[in-house]
Amino acid sequence: MESQFLSLFEVSIAFEESHLFFPRIVSWVLVGLLAIILLSKSNRIAPALRRAGQAVTQGGDGFDRKRFFGTILLIVIYFYMMAVVGDIFPNTGFGFLFVSIPFIFLLSMLYVEHSTRKNILIIAVTAAIAPTLAWYVLSQLFRITLP
Amino acid sequence: MEFLSYLSPMFFTLIAAGALIGVIFGAIPGMTATMAVAVCLPLTYALDLTNGLALLLGLYVGGISGGMVPAVLLNIPGTPSSITTTFDGYPMAKKGEGERALKISIVASLFGGLFSAGVLFYFAPVLADFAIKFSYVEKFLIIFLALTVIASLTKNMLMGIFSGVLGVWLSLIGTYEITDGGNGETRLMFDFMEYYLVAGFSLLPVLIGIFGITTILQDAEKGFKGDAGSPTIKLTKGSRFSLSVFKGQLVNLVRSSSIGTFVGMLPGVGGSAASVLAYTQEKNFSHDSSQMGKGAPQGLVASESSNNALTGGALVPLLSLGIPGDSTTAILIGAFTLQGIQVGPLFIGDNLDTWYIMIAALVVANFLMFGIMFFAIKYIAKVIEVPKHLLYPIIVMMCVVGAYAINYGIMFDVWTLLIFGVFGYIATKVGIELVPLIIGFILGGSAEVYFVKSLESYGNLTIFFTKSPIAVLLWVLIVLSLVFAIFLKVRARKQENLVSSN
Repeated sequence: MESQFLSLFEVSIAFEESHLFFPRIVSWVLVGLLAIILLSKSNRIAPALRRAGQAVTQGGDGFDRKRFFGTILLIVIYFYMMAVVGDIFPNTGFGFLFVSIPFIFLLSMLYVEHSTRKNILIIAVTAAIAPTLAWYVLSQLFRITLP
Repeated sequence: MEFLSYLSPMFFTLIAAGALIGVIFGAIPGMTATMAVAVCLPLTYALDLTNGLALLLGLYVGGISGGMVPAVLLNIPGTPSSITTTFDGYPMAKKGEGERALKISIVASLFGGLFSAGVLFYFAPVLADFAIKFSYVEKFLIIFLALTVIASLTKNMLMGIFSGVLGVWLSLIGTYEITDGGNGETRLMFDFMEYYLVAGFSLLPVLIGIFGITTILQDAEKGFKGDAGSPTIKLTKGSRFSLSVFKGQLVNLVRSSSIGTFVGMLPGVGGSAASVLAYTQEKNFSHDSSQMGKGAPQGLVASESSNNALTGGALVPLLSLGIPGDSTTAILIGAFTLQGIQVGPLFIGDNLDTWYIMIAALVVANFLMFGIMFFAIKYIAKVIEVPKHLLYPIIVMMCVVGAYAINYGIMFDVWTLLIFGVFGYIATKVGIELVPLIIGFILGGSAEVYFVKSLESYGNLTIFFTKSPIAVLLWVLIVLSLVFAIFLKVRARKQENLVSSN
């Protein structure tokens, strides 16, 4: 009787399939939890999606479209260009240096609330100094790999 | 005492630098100790183990402490754990006693930090010795327990559990490593992703993305309005600081520090829980709590000693079990791995020198934090005026360096930043909790190995219940943590109903 009961829980894992054993369990648990969450909140999902859609397409609801999507766009360009410029000057970290300066300048300009002449000047100086300093300390002094 | 020879002037300089940078990060609302560690990570790549530890622990202690500055001066907690500091700190600052409030907080922080370092020193080796005897079964159950505790203490338990499981799922993407006894096959991905994801997502870029880029996106969404809010509060107008404030506060100090240390040990519970608990306990037990919330030093003492006690507490499970206690220690685990340290039950015994260096660094970091903040608080208070439009772009840049250099120049790690930055942003919007997710991500890989190996050797699921008395005890703890969490939820709901019906 007892051995029968124990045999219910017997598991054998084939070695060539062992990489899928745990992920399968976790995936099913995840799907199960997701289903419970979706069911229990089903009445709130549609309005929330509509609100989010409105915020993204029209702004409002305290959602600053220009700054949010501007940030993502600038970061994408930054990462992409860094690799491109880095390939032109391999193993120097120049890709990082030359692309970081305009990136910091543009992102600061995107974020600044009042673009007065004084603010722009401060931003320009920061954009020039910060990457140069980081590049010098990390790449030249510490010999850390930079793009 | 051989470890003393490692303590060079460089060691102390790095701790001081770390503490200062940490304090600055902590002092800027929205930026946390986690971010400070993430941003300074690239610097540690070039340092050796001792000096790397010095910088990291300085950052950690400084980052937790810095949160008090805007809490007192602006009524905004700089880090989540300084939330209760605002209750009494801000009223004092309004009375013109800002500097006094800050100095009380600094002394309380020092006490909390040292207290927890002491607990760490005596308790972590004991726990590690105990954990050495664990087999795969118990190790799996420990991870299961950690994830249960984290998930059950989040605001919404179902979402908390989902977040933890999602973290585990994300960690399984990649290869089931042959070095872990796996078969070297990839899973949970499409063929075209294999080139990038053979080794899965790297831990640190994921963490830096979630804690760095996500924060920036969240603030970008709000549009930085009224960003340069300059505090018009006079630091010193009312009564001056003197140590006599602490007369009769010893019980409060010890109680709050103990609460902080203990909460720190629970994985993923988070700093705000510690300070709120310490604050309410002081309110319940002190002789005179009538002034609390209106500017009472005892409130500051409770809040700040408990939140600094988190540091030592969170390091206990990290160093003895390899389980990070909060988001900052989650990044520390990655940084330690880079330095070649494998934290876990064997760590302390095998690396006695490193262990002593860590404790020394932690104690020194607390004293240096105290020195820096106590004597330079006037200047540090100015930091909160630095506009974010200058800081954030620089943070993105430093995040890039941190991610790129981790595997000696992999561009995909940089893209991981953005992937998880955007993911973290959307996740918080739909109610996924980031801390359980991260802890699940960190522990997921080991959980798989322990689980599969246990079954491969015993071939029966019942082994998880019958392996040893410790396994049974762990199950009891798992059930208890769930029951306790449900009990808390029910009680909170009852109280809510009472309030609303009145």
